[in-house]
Amino acid sequence: MPSRHLSRRTVLAGALGASAALALPRLGFPAVKKGTSLRLWILKTYVEPTNKAIEASAQRWAQKHGAAVTVEYFTFEDMQTKYVAAIESKSTPDVGQLETSAPSRFAGMGQLLDLTSFSKQIESQAGKAPANVAPVTMMDGKVYSIPWYVMGAFWYVWRDVFEKAKVKLPSTFAEAREAAQALTRPKDNFYGMGQSWNRTADGYGVMQSLMYSYGVGWAGKDGKYKSIKTPQMQTVMKWATDIYTNQLQPADTLTWTGSGNNENFIAKNVAQTSNGPSITFAMENAVAKATDAKDKKMKEDALANHVALPHLGGPDGRRMQAIAMSMGVFKGSKDPEAAMSLIAHLVSPEETVMVMKDSYGQFAPVLEKAKTASKDYFNKNENYRTFGRAAEWFAPTGWPGPVTAAAAEVQASNVLTDAPAKVIVDKWSVDQAIEWEDKKIKEIYDTLRA
Amino acid sequence: MTREAGALALGAPAPRRRRLGRQRNRDLGTAALFLLPLFVLVLGLIFYPFYRAVWLSFTDKLVGYPERFVGLRNYEYLAQDDAFHQVIRNSFVFTVVSVGLKIVTGIGMALVLNSIIRGRNFFRGLFLLPWITSTVIIALTWRWMFDAFPGRGFFNSVLLDMGILRQPIAFMATPEGAMMAVIVANWWRGFPFFGVSFLAGMASIPRETYEAASVDGAGAGRRFWHITLPGLKHVIIVTTLLSFIMTINDFNIIYVMTRGGPGSATQVFATYSYQVAFQQLRWGRGVTISIFLVPLLVVGIALISRYLLREGRGK
Repeated sequence: MPSRHLSRRTVLAGALGASAALALPRLGFPAVKKGTSLRLWILKTYVEPTNKAIEASAQRWAQKHGAAVTVEYFTFEDMQTKYVAAIESKSTPDVGQLETSAPSRFAGMGQLLDLTSFSKQIESQAGKAPANVAPVTMMDGKVYSIPWYVMGAFWYVWRDVFEKAKVKLPSTFAEAREAAQALTRPKDNFYGMGQSWNRTADGYGVMQSLMYSYGVGWAGKDGKYKSIKTPQMQTVMKWATDIYTNQLQPADTLTWTGSGNNENFIAKNVAQTSNGPSITFAMENAVAKATDAKDKKMKEDALANHVALPHLGGPDGRRMQAIAMSMGVFKGSKDPEAAMSLIAHLVSPEETVMVMKDSYGQFAPVLEKAKTASKDYFNKNENYRTFGRAAEWFAPTGWPGPVTAAAAEVQASNVLTDAPAKVIVDKWSVDQAIEWEDKKIKEIYDTLRA
Repeated sequence: MTREAGALALGAPAPRRRRLGRQRNRDLGTAALFLLPLFVLVLGLIFYPFYRAVWLSFTDKLVGYPERFVGLRNYEYLAQDDAFHQVIRNSFVFTVVSVGLKIVTGIGMALVLNSIIRGRNFFRGLFLLPWITSTVIIALTWRWMFDAFPGRGFFNSVLLDMGILRQPIAFMATPEGAMMAVIVANWWRGFPFFGVSFLAGMASIPRETYEAASVDGAGAGRRFWHITLPGLKHVIIVTTLLSFIMTINDFNIIYVMTRGGPGSATQVFATYSYQVAFQQLRWGRGVTISIFLVPLLVVGIALISRYLLREGRGK
């Protein structure tokens, strides 16, 4: 029977424990006033369960604090439009999910709160973001948003197509082009590759990965303009246009919108394409929805047969331009303390892992603790192991420099994908296209206000 | 107050003049009261936004930053911008060909509907369907029709199934094909407006004129050329002008079908303005792209209005 008297040792141990607890740094997250109401803007992706999981996480915070959160969505398509309209009409949300170039763009406009000290509290709670991702949230040494996850782009291939033709799975852009040459069968309407230089992330994102992997950046480490008129850029432009002029892709590839590559890959019209894990989501979903046994078996085979490889590398390394999502607080927020509390809740390891589990691999956490906690989830199979490494290869817009408003505008101006289109459609020479592209980029840097 | 009332007031004895004066003031007050909402609407919804747009075109306004006056710098930039030159060319090809097709098919539609007695209203309603359908739906439908995705694009599927093609044609992958596709979609959406307007115009041409011409031995072609067309002149001018303005400012069809691509082959004023203002965040320059058109449209409207007024007075 346990003694009812406390021994001296127990008392001492208790006192020691209490002192230690008091000595721990207090997280001191901002208090939330009961009844407070926040507006949260989040990205609506093709993976509907992720959207719902984020919304549910926000509602858990609201319930816990007796507050209210109104969740509003934006899509990849209207992300800029929605924020631009909100900024100009002074109706920004309290908390907004921000893509790779948004923190620097909006902080430059004076729209975001300085979260430098708050980010230190988050670091103590959830850990740091990798060194290649963290700068996305900063401008002039200050932190303006809290990094959350990376939505990577991967190189999707059909394993059986490669095996049948005895072609090695590609690891570099050069290998992918060679593979495409070996796999293309126009008579069967089957092509070795499907890479569109369109005006979506599937176009400008891959173009940046290609450029950065060949060591081509339009800005230096200081973020200032640097000419792209280099032999490496000629190789880049040649790769980008050869895949069209050598007819290694379906004839309508240039006209694909955001879902064109998904559709053509899933329909097995192309052997390789670049995309986020939404392809895997669609295929897993198809298996789950299949009712007929034969159909289910076919879809299961397809699922097992599709491989998401790390994004292609080049002579200068493997650099994947992707979407690094972070959360920022807008200056117009009526309750910034509650807004920060909501962010702290969302990026906490527990909530992050809950959202991630509904993401079909699309959501690769970047903060240390959540990353560690996500290891089991990403160990599901080879594709998921690749998804889990997204942050490793991440390179921001404007690499090797920081993300700047000018770098973001280069991406937004479509000049990166219009240049190869000039060679493919308007029959310009590679040199002409590079000259034109370089002139346009320089003009952006010269004319953008400091 | 009318001129007669004014004359009466001058010639009337003093108490009556005072009474009429009071009545005039009351009338003026009532008129002002009734006109006020319209005045506020015109000022608030037309003049102010227009003034603001013109002002912004003289600034280097960036989203999130206050504007700074830069004079004609945006106009100078666009005058030297090769992308904008292509936008001007594309916009005019898109507009002129679309409107031209709409006039021709609109006249055809009106002639057919005018010649049938039974079910005219039914067919008029049927032909109006494209006009009342959402533009986005129309653009998506035509995108699907021209699609080269195996087994999905309507034209390709038909041609492949009939054995005419062995490989699908990527209609929208070439500049000419993409331009043709957006023109077709715009034409299909817009021709009923022309048809219905022309049909209304035809209804106002007296039957006796046709009968007299027939008696004099004029065939269908000559009756059309010498009676119908002159009779429709005003309607054609007004509908063409309206359609020209709407088509040259069209955004939805091109944005949904091609996003201005491939390359910049179908980039027009509205899509380029959107890209510069909302993606590049350069509002001053984006607004200037739209404002560039205004002098041309104002001159066009003024010339046509003057012509119509002169014609009206001539009658």
